[in-house]
Amino acid sequence: MEFLELLKGNQPVLLDGGMGTMLQAKGLPVGATPELVALEHPDWLREIHTAYLDAGSQIIYANTFGANREKLAHCGKTVAEIVPAAVSIAKEAAHGRGLVALDVGPIGQLLEPTGVLGFEQAVDIFRELIAAGAEAGADLIAIETMTDLQEARAALLAAKETCSLPVLVTMTYEATGRTFLGCSPACAALTLEGMGADAIGVNCSLGPREMPPLVEELLQWTNLPIVLKPNAGLPHPDGSGYDITPEEFASSLASLADMGVKVFGGCCGTTPEYIKLLHQHLSQKQVKEVPRHVPAAVCSGTQVVPIDRVRVIGERINPTGKKLMKEALKKGDIDYMLNQALEQMEAGADILDVNVGLPEIDEAAMMVRTVKALQGITDAPLQLDSTDPEVLSGALRIYCGKAIVNSVNGEDSTMDAILPLVKKYGAAVVGLTLDQNGIPKSAQARFDVASHILERALSYGIRKEDVYIDCLTLTVSAEQAGAAQTLVALRRVKEELGLKTVLGVSNISFGLPARPLVNQNFLTMAMSAGLDLPIINPNVDAMMAAVRCYHLLTNVDEDARDFIAAYGNATVSTSITSAGTSSAASTGSTKSLGDIVVSGLKGEAGEATRLLLETTDPMDIIDQILIPALDKVGADFEQNKVFLPQLIQSAGAAQAAFEVIRQRLSQTEGESASRGVVVLATVKGDIHDIGKNIVKVLLENYGFQVVDLGKDVDPNAVVEAVKQYNAPLVGLSALMTTTLKSMAETISMLHEAGLPCKIMVGGAVLTPDYAKQIEADFYAKDAKESVDIAKTIIG
Amino acid sequence: MMELQLNHLNQDEVLRYMGCPPEQADEATRAMVAQCEQELLKVIQPRWANRVFDITQEEDGVRLSCGLLLPGADLKQHLTGCSRVVLLCATLSAQADRLIRQAESGDMFRALALDCCATAAVEQICDQIEQHIQGEFPGCYFPFRFSPGYGDLPITLQGQLLQLLDAPRKIGLCASASHILTPRKSVTAFLGVAEQPIAQTIRSCLSCPAHNSCQYRKSGGHCGIS
Repeated sequence: MEFLELLKGNQPVLLDGGMGTMLQAKGLPVGATPELVALEHPDWLREIHTAYLDAGSQIIYANTFGANREKLAHCGKTVAEIVPAAVSIAKEAAHGRGLVALDVGPIGQLLEPTGVLGFEQAVDIFRELIAAGAEAGADLIAIETMTDLQEARAALLAAKETCSLPVLVTMTYEATGRTFLGCSPACAALTLEGMGADAIGVNCSLGPREMPPLVEELLQWTNLPIVLKPNAGLPHPDGSGYDITPEEFASSLASLADMGVKVFGGCCGTTPEYIKLLHQHLSQKQVKEVPRHVPAAVCSGTQVVPIDRVRVIGERINPTGKKLMKEALKKGDIDYMLNQALEQMEAGADILDVNVGLPEIDEAAMMVRTVKALQGITDAPLQLDSTDPEVLSGALRIYCGKAIVNSVNGEDSTMDAILPLVKKYGAAVVGLTLDQNGIPKSAQARFDVASHILERALSYGIRKEDVYIDCLTLTVSAEQAGAAQTLVALRRVKEELGLKTVLGVSNISFGLPARPLVNQNFLTMAMSAGLDLPIINPNVDAMMAAVRCYHLLTNVDEDARDFIAAYGNATVSTSITSAGTSSAASTGSTKSLGDIVVSGLKGEAGEATRLLLETTDPMDIIDQILIPALDKVGADFEQNKVFLPQLIQSAGAAQAAFEVIRQRLSQTEGESASRGVVVLATVKGDIHDIGKNIVKVLLENYGFQVVDLGKDVDPNAVVEAVKQYNAPLVGLSALMTTTLKSMAETISMLHEAGLPCKIMVGGAVLTPDYAKQIEADFYAKDAKESVDIAKTIIG
Repeated sequence: MMELQLNHLNQDEVLRYMGCPPEQADEATRAMVAQCEQELLKVIQPRWANRVFDITQEEDGVRLSCGLLLPGADLKQHLTGCSRVVLLCATLSAQADRLIRQAESGDMFRALALDCCATAAVEQICDQIEQHIQGEFPGCYFPFRFSPGYGDLPITLQGQLLQLLDAPRKIGLCASASHILTPRKSVTAFLGVAEQPIAQTIRSCLSCPAHNSCQYRKSGGHCGIS
């Protein structure tokens, strides 16, 4: 019987037990490569598989857990040698008595952002293994023991793109109910079901006793059959086995059929004896049918946001009408976007909209870069905002979790280009109630477009719960009757179609005075009409206040906890404030800006600069106050009068001052002036970039435009950036002896490309001699010296 | 397995890692270190693993009873008089890296303080583990713990050492293709076990986690601790 057939009906399905445990019992030394057994002791595998089949296993896992090219690299054998051998042995043993799963375990290196391995690299590594397994005749793919949801996604995607075999995915959790990397069963369920897994669950982890809470969570968030393949409890400290007996394992695990668990097996420490008893217990069991309803929700790799109340989508990562953001995009300044994200999270956003569309940049590449960087610092789910299918495809591929795609509209050609992507990557989608004829005026016509979008989405296999409708806000100063139509349409979409609704709110007040008042009241009216997902600026407290009040007054905010937490100690204002700049409460200070920078008082620098700007030219402030102050701190640092922490504090204070000046310049002049471009990178393979980031801040202080390529940077990317920005100076950093060769390689590629730039290098393990040897132009012993070098080269 | 408990950090040690002699730290720096200590201790999830091996001294290095040769003269010298070695690894987990990354995008001062707090934290955790292990070998003597990257012991060993400890599965600790431990704030180390008194017990620059990047050493000096 095929795997998908087995998954139907009420009969439990039985997998096998531990492989490593059995191999060690056969004599495999600890630390040896278990996959080599397929070539060296095929008889061992035959015996183990047969023992499990005799015990009642309907599906056995081929001995391919670590048979990926990265893990095999050190043993001299290839995927092409190991995988067909292992699968053939399992198939021979099964001999019609059972199915054979290709076992796919973790690569053994962590993916970005915690590790260095790229997502596409991971997909490619899995693709090779899965192609070999499918070719050798495996009946299904079993992805297991995953702790990183992104790695599980890479494997699942590779399976889906390589073969048509069914896929089972299990992850391993700790007693906290999370994986090492913070993924919960809920995040795994939403994401993996969305991407087309056929069964999901838990393996390894703990023992059967710890399974019930994990099962409960899974039941809440997936409609798929649930798989459990736990360990035989905890290992004895002396290595003599595990603490749960076969009988206890079998009885407690089999009892979970009553919770609705469908597929059973054992992991570390379990043997054919465990499986035989499990088989006996399960033979008296039927899998209980548990009614399930997975609610509308989105998630990141670590956090689920159910759309069970008003959830705020932060709108700030979007260049429309934002000069500084446009400049940041053109410069590739990712930190700007990250700060926008952190600020909005702090202010109370639940989800972040990400739009990096600007005609003069490569939107697709920038979107991928931004999404990757955001995932490294925030748990918030993202709303990927673009109308370009190519941009969305790249972003959805790299996004770890269940995203929102913003947006499609009622035009069939748009939906046919984007909805397949939404389905493939398991996202939710925003449908705008407009089509080729523009925005309909009447609520009825918008409702009709919404119905059409829903129908189309369903035809692509997208769940109804994953379709969110935007009934479109029109500017009330231009079309005063429009607001009511929007609200009527919204209410009908919510009540009659039963869909979640989304709305960009701020547009309502364009062209009017006292915009925050209009926005706040329209938001309140929209929430009363059934709005679930307002897209707003959460830094405007009036807007967050409206949401908090709505939750308070509709009895969603139990005991007014959130409301009191937010306003218990506050005086409420409706003015526009930015959450990140509230710390400059130091009026009355008599310190000069120069002293403030020398003392490193970041909180006072912005306000002092604002005051000075009333009387002093911005360039004079830079040249006559900020630079001399930084020079003094730099000189003191060289003479060991101050130390790195003080140097960085001064740099931070100067940075805050420059931020104010930049804002002023961007209002009055065109582009802000820069002394010249410096490209910075931590070299390929190296992920220690704190030193490079300190250099960056100091260089920016002195007015250099820094193009920061980040860490683990490919030599080619450095060459391309130098060309693109015509940079006269490159700074490279490496902190490990093993990555110095990447530094040498990058330098030689820069030389080969014949670029006229100078190269400075720095980092813990570098010496002036070594710098010379790899043909760098300068060795910078610390961040201060890198500024001196930049001054010499660029002026 | 012993539960790791970390309630406070050695702030002077944090300041030294930041490149600042503790007695010359200003108030703002101390306040930042104190704040970062709290933030870090809240998010970390320290984990560790260990395994004991008999060892034999060979011409090219030290051989573990599982067959792996640890090449070079320095570890060999260091383990003189030891009949066994405990291989251990520890990590603060990915959550520490994430916190530092968050700070790096906006405030380098805080990022530096967090980074150095994390370095101090993983060292203190190793101290706890070491103490625990020493308790399991009553009457024995121990040279200071020795990590890949010290002297001529290559860091290319990291991946194999983690395999011996089953660390990727047990505690989520891996090595990258260029042999960097990930999550970043992690350690692998050897703790020698000798039945007779030995000489190499004192901590030196060689065993300092900052020995590669130390500003004092770069300028030819010393932080003063021993």
